[in-house]
Amino acid sequence: MWRRIYHLLVKEFLQLRRNKEARIHLILLPILQMVIFGYAATFEVTRVATAVIDFDHSQESRELISRFIASGRFQLAGLPANREEAREMIDRGRADMAIQINPRFAELLRKGQTAPVQVLVDAANSNSALIALGYIGQIGARFAQDYQTDYMNRLAPRYAALMPSATMDERPWYNPDLDSQWFFVPGVMGSLTLVIVMNLTAFAIVREREIGTLEQVMVTPIRPVELMLGKTIPYFIVGLAEVALVAAVGTLWFQVPFRGNPLVLLAGTSLFLISTLAVGLLISTLCSTQQQAFASGFFYLTPAFTLSGFAFPIASMPTVMQWLTYLDPLRYYLVVLRGTFLKAVGMDILWPQMVAMALLGAVLLAISVTRFRKSLD
Amino acid sequence: MSAGRLIAMARKEFIQIRRDPRSLLIALLLPIMQMALLGYGISLDAKHLALYVYDQEGSQDSQALLKHFQASQYFDLIRTVNNYHDLKRAIDSEQCKLGVVIPFDFSKRIRDSGSASVQVIVDGTDDNTANLAIGYSQAVIADYSAGVQHDWLTTQGLPVAGGGGLSIEPRTWFNEDLESRNFIVPGIMALVMALVGALLTSLTIAREWERGTMEQLISTPVTSREVMLGKLIPYFVLGMIDAALCAAIGVWWFEVPFRGTVWMLALTTALFLAVVLAIGFVISAGLKNQLAASSIALMVTLLPTSLLSGYAFPIEQMPAPIRAITYLIYSRYYVTILKALFLKGVGARALLGEMTALAVYAVIAGFFATRAFRKTLV
Amino acid sequence: MPANDAHAARASVEVTDLVKRFGTFTAVDRVSFQATRGEILGFLGPNGAGKSTIIRVLCGLLRPTSGRAIVAGLDVASEAEAVRQHIGYMSQKFSLYNDLEVIENLRFFAGMYNVPNHLAQQRIAGAIAMAGLAGHEHDLTGTLAGGWKQRLALGCAVLHEPAILFLDEPTSGVDPISRRHFWELIHQHAAAGVTVFVSTHYMDEAEYCNRLALINRGRIVAMGTPAELKRHAMKGTLLLARCDPLGPALEAAQTAPGVMEAAVFGNALHLTVGDPRTAIAALPAYFTRNGVRCADLEQIRPSLEDVFVALTGVRPPPAGGPAQ
Repeated sequence: MWRRIYHLLVKEFLQLRRNKEARIHLILLPILQMVIFGYAATFEVTRVATAVIDFDHSQESRELISRFIASGRFQLAGLPANREEAREMIDRGRADMAIQINPRFAELLRKGQTAPVQVLVDAANSNSALIALGYIGQIGARFAQDYQTDYMNRLAPRYAALMPSATMDERPWYNPDLDSQWFFVPGVMGSLTLVIVMNLTAFAIVREREIGTLEQVMVTPIRPVELMLGKTIPYFIVGLAEVALVAAVGTLWFQVPFRGNPLVLLAGTSLFLISTLAVGLLISTLCSTQQQAFASGFFYLTPAFTLSGFAFPIASMPTVMQWLTYLDPLRYYLVVLRGTFLKAVGMDILWPQMVAMALLGAVLLAISVTRFRKSLD
Repeated sequence: MSAGRLIAMARKEFIQIRRDPRSLLIALLLPIMQMALLGYGISLDAKHLALYVYDQEGSQDSQALLKHFQASQYFDLIRTVNNYHDLKRAIDSEQCKLGVVIPFDFSKRIRDSGSASVQVIVDGTDDNTANLAIGYSQAVIADYSAGVQHDWLTTQGLPVAGGGGLSIEPRTWFNEDLESRNFIVPGIMALVMALVGALLTSLTIAREWERGTMEQLISTPVTSREVMLGKLIPYFVLGMIDAALCAAIGVWWFEVPFRGTVWMLALTTALFLAVVLAIGFVISAGLKNQLAASSIALMVTLLPTSLLSGYAFPIEQMPAPIRAITYLIYSRYYVTILKALFLKGVGARALLGEMTALAVYAVIAGFFATRAFRKTLV
Repeated sequence: MPANDAHAARASVEVTDLVKRFGTFTAVDRVSFQATRGEILGFLGPNGAGKSTIIRVLCGLLRPTSGRAIVAGLDVASEAEAVRQHIGYMSQKFSLYNDLEVIENLRFFAGMYNVPNHLAQQRIAGAIAMAGLAGHEHDLTGTLAGGWKQRLALGCAVLHEPAILFLDEPTSGVDPISRRHFWELIHQHAAAGVTVFVSTHYMDEAEYCNRLALINRGRIVAMGTPAELKRHAMKGTLLLARCDPLGPALEAAQTAPGVMEAAVFGNALHLTVGDPRTAIAALPAYFTRNGVRCADLEQIRPSLEDVFVALTGVRPPPAGGPAQ
């Protein structure tokens, strides 16, 4: 049995080595996609083009504006004279938001009343708008706090020191600079591995069926299980190499730290690859042409990505969708990837993910092996 | 160009589409599936973030602060823990997104002057959620702090100067409820169109080569432009149906506002489809192998549309070289147009630039489509 | 001798009432036949007659719907994997790996058939010699010309020295010289005691077989040696009529009294009649009445082609020409 599997492996690798397209698909494209995705995928908000309508022209208003600019999050896009001009700027896309400081701003502050600051946001991108508003809130709060302290210092220096306040001390763990690449790079790694390994496996079988070589192999005394192993083991190895490749790009190029135990990552990757190979195998049993395999693969990939939480948090999905995510092996693998890269957690934390992947892998494998046997008849 | 031949070509194509349930299924089911999946699945709204509390003090003051957190719609106070270790474990295993640690001397520090600092530990792996969480916590704590100060000043009989502080009054335009769905759904439409267009054209032409029927076709007096148009018209019609389907799902199911005019949507969608289909045609005419054709088609349509079109990831935030590349991505213009039509309701004049860009692309891609085909005749 | 009996069993095929249905379509309909060691049995029939399906069932690639097929002493339905150790198969479509070298393909199939290492070396060398590929061991298989590919495929199929060979239209798309060369190889194997099944729709190739099974619409309509078929398979006697013009002559012949069948062969008509003497006497006058000149009318021996047309109603492709 092992001899036949060995010959199948040799054959598969010889073919892979001769295939120039495969080299592009397996090496060049993943690197390219990693780099582009690593840079393009970000929800960070910096350089928000901001128009400022200052009706007050007071020292206070100028102070507030300079604080916005100094934060680095906002860029002054212009100083329109009125709201209509500001609106025009936003409509034309020259500004993403406008801050309007009303007349009597300083006066209200001095009187100890609430001074309103109006913010006009192009919320077409709600996420960026929310984050920008968050920054404005933070800057505004600090401004008010400082103003208060300042005021007290001048009015009653003795009391100033006594005035109570609660401040926040933020500690973003695992990603202190909140660098989006640290979040996306492990996600892209998992997604790329899924696409490549699933497609390779599906095509490896469908292609042979299409050109007729599968039949030629089937008339030899080979058993279905041998054929299946011979067809999946190579892609398991390719999958491991692929993960190593994209991990190298992630750590060397994007400087994403790898803090965990490589063995934990290896275990998680192996379990993930098993379920991925099983899906590929399943597709190969459903399709007679590579074209069909390609289209069917697509029907699996889109939900697999969307439900994995690789860009969009699972917690924000409707409850029913959240249940569905439990069926997605990629979901668990991403937790393992982020856990080992950023959090340095081990098996004690990641065992539920490992068990889930093992279970899904076993079920998928059982289905595809049964179907695979049938498809050979 | 002969109208008769063109009609014959298109009719043949329609018949084949009808007879091939698989590709018809792809054409009609895929948009619905994608819209539902992405429309529901893609949400960046961070509400009800799971929050753990480590209240070292357990005083009235600390409870008052926690009430502020509880009152916020952004946080769900899941449970309290008694040590750092449990908190770390909860964050490690993703049971909570953030932990609020109230120091043991919180009320003392508040009362004995100076500031009491509350530690907010955030799982930074997902930087976007972390950013939102930090912003919301900041607001909660500032609110609490302002209240405390106000009480203190009043009891001390001091003027509440600046006590009201600033009130930020946001006026959100175009997407008043700050629903991320409103911002994502129009973009998904572009994604679906790119996908369906690429998949279908690469499917149909490469198939014709592989079955050998293309050679038969070439031997007739049909011109390459007729072949191109005849092949693409049915898929264009399918694509327009898909677009209508997507728009309907977006507006009636996801309740995304539509503020533009229908004819602008139809016109720009037609332009975009022309580009996508022509590109699909160029690829499949150049590559006679079905597999290569469809994977390349995906590479040049779906991937850039999902990454570089700005449908979810804001283009302004990308580094300059990548931003420069986005100008070459035709879907970028369509996404801008879609968002404007759905959310902003601006007219044709404001979108003239984007429309021109799409038209230029359509002409170039169409030109290459006729040429690419002629080349393969030799 | 018992050893000889064992050999004979290994190389024999026995098919009884074999049926294979795909859905409602019956591809093979109650087919029965036997083949013994060293025999070359040809399956002759039009496209879609069921030749390939029979072969694929015998190779264990398709499960029979009913009936029994014993190959090499084993039931293909229940012992397909064991059967495969004793058979070699070459499909209609060339199906070796184009992106492997000649030698790599051979090594691969030697591995698949579990040929022990010490034998593999020698058998691979033998296969290369047989295919005439010496010096081309490291050529990519995809770059070989059709005839060579065909012989290499045969080489791969016999690496494990099977007792039975199934060749499904092995020569389709190959030039006539290569085809002749290929048939020499088939005869060599048969002479060495291998039972060979060949399906074909070439008449000239059919003549090379020891026995022929004529297959139409899933059934064996006639079976025997080529000579037997020519002698007995047709009802009636065959007449050759040189007529002018040919078209009206055919029309007239089809309705002529005593003529069972009429078909155009080359520039003449072949007529099947019940009683040759009466027909030869009556037909010239009948033709003249119908405005057709009949220069010559004589009794001839039917060729395989006549048998084929008479039994299947389908005209075979021109002998020696390329497939389709």
